[in-house]
Amino acid sequence: MMEPIIKGMTGDEAVAWAAKQINPDVVAAYPITPQTIIVERFSDYVNDGIVDTSFVPVESEHSAMSACVGASATGARVFTATASAGLALMYEILYVASGMRLPIVLAVANRAFSAPINIHAECTDQLVTRDASWVSLFGESAQEAYDETIMSFKIAENPKVLLPTMFGVEGFIVTHALERVDTLPDKAIKDFLPEKREVEYAFTPDEIRTFGSLVLQDYYMEIKRQQEDAMQEAYKVTKEVMSEYSEITGRNYEIIEKYKLEDADYAFVSYGATAGNAKAVVDNLREKGEKVGSLKIRMYRPFPAPDIYDALKGIKAVSILDRSATFGSPGTIVQSDLATALFGKKDVPSLHGYINGLGGRVLTIPEIEQIYMKTKTYHDDGKALTTEWFGYRKR
Amino acid sequence: MEKKNPPKEFEEWINEKWGTEKLPVGGVVPYQSSYGYKTGDWSAYKAYINKEKCIGCLNCFFYCPDSAITMDENNKAEADFDFCKGCGVCAQHCPVDAIEMKSLR
Repeated sequence: MMEPIIKGMTGDEAVAWAAKQINPDVVAAYPITPQTIIVERFSDYVNDGIVDTSFVPVESEHSAMSACVGASATGARVFTATASAGLALMYEILYVASGMRLPIVLAVANRAFSAPINIHAECTDQLVTRDASWVSLFGESAQEAYDETIMSFKIAENPKVLLPTMFGVEGFIVTHALERVDTLPDKAIKDFLPEKREVEYAFTPDEIRTFGSLVLQDYYMEIKRQQEDAMQEAYKVTKEVMSEYSEITGRNYEIIEKYKLEDADYAFVSYGATAGNAKAVVDNLREKGEKVGSLKIRMYRPFPAPDIYDALKGIKAVSILDRSATFGSPGTIVQSDLATALFGKKDVPSLHGYINGLGGRVLTIPEIEQIYMKTKTYHDDGKALTTEWFGYRKR
Repeated sequence: MEKKNPPKEFEEWINEKWGTEKLPVGGVVPYQSSYGYKTGDWSAYKAYINKEKCIGCLNCFFYCPDSAITMDENNKAEADFDFCKGCGVCAQHCPVDAIEMKSLR
């Protein structure tokens, strides 16, 4: 275990600080609230000569990700950051990055989509990229933002994985909140992450290659299947990387975080910052004698279905606290994944999804307690699956 | 309906294909000119040239959009099935009807 260097930083600053310590070869980014501070701080480091990075101030997020693709194809270590509309504008190139197997790392400051225009926390932007073949992580705090920046590079660049990796922290709630962050010394990061990424093939003047060639009915499906195989590898590699990182830092990282679940009858399932409040509610309810626990999904893609089943087996009912919007869907976004992961298995809980906290609306601790009571009622009424919007005014 | 076996040629093309494990990662391949990429298996038809009828006028040679026609030592046209996509332009332009488009099914 390494002696930490304690700092006071916001989530954005923590990401920028980790990126500074990693010293990537290329950063191409465009500023968007609430990600701006990541790019601002990092461009300071570039200007002050603290990092050797080539910083590309592009004109849009579509260009940002395109520049990252080009840079990564040469074998460079590449980092970028965005949010909301920016991530949506990158969407086309997200598929190019994963299809060409370029281990780009992307920090997302989760923010609501327009319209109406809103700059505050919501995770829909990241969740809807679930099919883009990116490894997708969520963080709860500035500390996790810092740690996941470092771990993301290690996961993405693993030769068995070679998939781009994004991690999200909620806008303002994490990105702008000042917290204690235990940072690692530069040397520890150099030991954890190799100086250069391992490159099997690269686009260089000496070695001409065709990247992103035309592939039709004959081979397209085979190439896409490679990405699925890589995702299965990412599932194992992420576990290894997180346990290795846990050993260095003494902070326990797993793809899912289990909190007081062993003897629980009821549980909250959440991701990102919501998990903090959920755990506080668990403590409150435990004091009142309720057997309740919390499960936090840290890795959303690849979806840790076996781990979630093991953790939730035998629990009566689960409240899914989902800070994301979906319309006309049979469940909340994460609830749909959970239902698929648990369907047809033995001793699975009933699933109760709550769409909440859209556009940065706060989900308070009394409200989560209210959700807990609702879930209990639904379960007692014999309902196996319910979905509702929670915390909005009707009239 | 009677099921017909595909011609041997067609079967060979199918067997030549790589599976997901053998394919280069992300489909990133060494640079080659288009001669390296055999695209003839896209087609459902092929141009079969009757050399006895061929008068060596070169019409097909110039009209072929894929440069899939070559001339042999006797100045008779030949279709290269590695690249022929079966469009039938050559057959339309042949003044002596020496080219027949045959289905591969």
